[in-house]
Amino acid sequence: MLDLMIMSGVDDGLQLHYRTDNSDGQWETEANRWLISIGRREDSDLCLRNDSFVSRLHAYLRWEQERWWLQDLKSTNGTFVEAGDEDARVTGTIPIEPGEMFRVGHTWMRIQNESTLT
Amino acid sequence: MALIPIRDILANARQESVQLQHHYLGVEHLFIAMLQIRGGITASLLEEQGLHAEYVMDAVRRRAEKGTAQRLWVGIPYTPRTLIILDIANDLAADAELPESTEREILSAILAERDSLPIRVLKRLNVDIEKLIKSAQTYTPIRDSQPLDIRVEFGDLFDPHESIDGEQLFVLRRIFNEYTRIRVDRRLTGFRNALILVVTPIQADGREDSAVVVKIDQSDNILDEYQRYESFVKMALPLQTARLEDRPVAPESSRLAGLKYTLVASGGAPPLDLRTRVQMLGTGGLGGMLHRELYEQFRRAWWQQKRPYRFQAWQEYDWLMPPVLTIDVCEPEELPANPFSLRVPVNRARLNTKMKFLQCGDPIVIENFVVQRIDRDNGVLKLAAGYGAEADKRAYRIDVRGCNFEKQTYYRGQTLDRVVGKVWKTRLEMMADAMVELEPDFDFSARTIPCGDLQLPNPILLYEDMLERYVNGSMSKIHGDMHLGNIIAGPNQSLWLIDFGQTRDGHTLFDWASLEISMLGDGVMPLAGVRWDIARQILACVAAISSRQPMPLENISLLSAMSTVSTIRDIARECLTTPDDWSEYFIAVALCALRAITWKSMPLGGRRLMFLLSGLAIHEVLNQENPSGEKPSADPSVPMTDRFVFSVPGLTPPKTELLSDEENFTLRDKRRDKKL
Repeated sequence: MLDLMIMSGVDDGLQLHYRTDNSDGQWETEANRWLISIGRREDSDLCLRNDSFVSRLHAYLRWEQERWWLQDLKSTNGTFVEAGDEDARVTGTIPIEPGEMFRVGHTWMRIQNESTLT
Repeated sequence: MALIPIRDILANARQESVQLQHHYLGVEHLFIAMLQIRGGITASLLEEQGLHAEYVMDAVRRRAEKGTAQRLWVGIPYTPRTLIILDIANDLAADAELPESTEREILSAILAERDSLPIRVLKRLNVDIEKLIKSAQTYTPIRDSQPLDIRVEFGDLFDPHESIDGEQLFVLRRIFNEYTRIRVDRRLTGFRNALILVVTPIQADGREDSAVVVKIDQSDNILDEYQRYESFVKMALPLQTARLEDRPVAPESSRLAGLKYTLVASGGAPPLDLRTRVQMLGTGGLGGMLHRELYEQFRRAWWQQKRPYRFQAWQEYDWLMPPVLTIDVCEPEELPANPFSLRVPVNRARLNTKMKFLQCGDPIVIENFVVQRIDRDNGVLKLAAGYGAEADKRAYRIDVRGCNFEKQTYYRGQTLDRVVGKVWKTRLEMMADAMVELEPDFDFSARTIPCGDLQLPNPILLYEDMLERYVNGSMSKIHGDMHLGNIIAGPNQSLWLIDFGQTRDGHTLFDWASLEISMLGDGVMPLAGVRWDIARQILACVAAISSRQPMPLENISLLSAMSTVSTIRDIARECLTTPDDWSEYFIAVALCALRAITWKSMPLGGRRLMFLLSGLAIHEVLNQENPSGEKPSADPSVPMTDRFVFSVPGLTPPKTELLSDEENFTLRDKRRDKKL
């Protein structure tokens, strides 16, 4: 399962629960792979309709090789992680730890610590 | 030390949110609002850790980033995290047995929640969060915290010469503490010291809410008005009208309090009281509005309740007159052995006899009178009998001057066992003073007043007689202070009543007599002028209305104004207890009009007309009671002017005696002194 918490904006504090056995995201049992889409589009797994800085299909959160990855999908306003005083823009796919903050458009969020597939 | 309550913090937080174009209420906005409190806990504790509030605010703002002008939802919703934090703060307040959370509880809640944007910013600024948590529970600011002011603007229609003093502003801001900005559109013409304003509250994002009417006055008056509204008015209002939706705002630290009348469905132009409307737009269509929108809308629950009510006129009308006595308080030692004493219950016959001989400086003892009002500014204690029903307990007003409110505390409703003093003025002298202003050479002893070729009875000599009379009238819910200034013109020509400070069960016709007085004094006379001959001409029109004759007028705007008076008479006709027996109305008019001659707020012309009107009304009462064969009042075939001839033999001898020469001398002496 995946627990996400929105960390800023109008939905600040909102907790979202995703489960592989509840047809959230794209789950491939054989590869033990899970893909959660983030975007403004209504059919996104995580739909950020309240943030106009989010692209229609903005980023993926993926579970692969027993860990979480964050992939930016060439979004207009970018995907960022915290890095000192400045935020670092994500290009391509980077590993992301539970508890680590990242930002999609203007919306900060984080994977909660207990989020793991094991 | 008073801490800033949650509602003030929320108001500032909303403003911050809108400035950042966020349009949601997040923890970051709450936190910035708390940092803005001068001398507040949040700012002080961060200063202790070497961080200036402004600097922290900027850091939070930078982290939150500015939003876009585009709105994706309506309103300013709370974020889920804000709701959690407000919940925690509420629990903390409940634990501390506080009625609502304050800055301390909200700060503690934000620190306890640990996960919000401002906490992330503080961590990044190397703030010691654990230390903050500890000191937030105990830190006491040195001075009272000051929230950001609610901005008060003034609309174009607000007369810049009018001023709102600091204490009134303080109450005004408290009434609108959920807003960050209000606009005072205009001051409604009110009497006494009450401040009545039309105010448009403005949301943080600049949207304007519906205008409301605000009344600010001494807190006991305001609380009394609210009580009256709750018990008399609330259940008896038409669907669309001005209502009191909130409890009065009565800050502990102020002697003033405020009420807010919401005006349902108002919009477009700000609401206007009828006195201002008449001054600005004239009286066109006003009569129809009064009948349709005021009388028809309210009458079922108000003036048409009409339960039979037989009363002595003084029971309903004595309290309108100037005080029976004005006395200067003095030490008991200064009194002679057997001073005149006046005690509740009042022996009316004895008082009436005695009053004729009381003179300035006479010692007097007042016993068992009840405090009605405390006029701190002038050091005057206003007493009345406080005995009986609604209006008669306000009868026998006595003003006590020279009270030391520092030395002794008084409260409204308090019964004073004994007050000793010396007479300064009697009611008659107060009336005489008012008359001298209208006409310096007025002859108080004259039984009749010449009015062209007509002779009217002298109200100064006959008002006591009017007060003694029994009235076979009716009782209804009445407004109790129905003048043009207390009627608000809403949208679509609707009319609403405000100011229920005198609302009670009382003589049904009082409201309409008051409105006629107000219409003549504030609506008609300002158009006509101040001269006596003009007042007489208007009086002839009033007489023409009584006898359903055409009005001897050519001026169109005056005719229009007078037709409004005619409409008020039509309404009064519907409220008469006995059809076509107008005496109950004329007694009310005679006394209401006489009261108005002492009103400084009414223009001179109006007051002159009031004096004549009182005479005319008394004439009508006497005439109706004792119609002599040669002067039939109801026969329209007899020319109006003939019916006006008022000869002494036709006059019912007044029950009170006319002034003796000696008393007259005293009055004239006084006048002479005044002139010198």
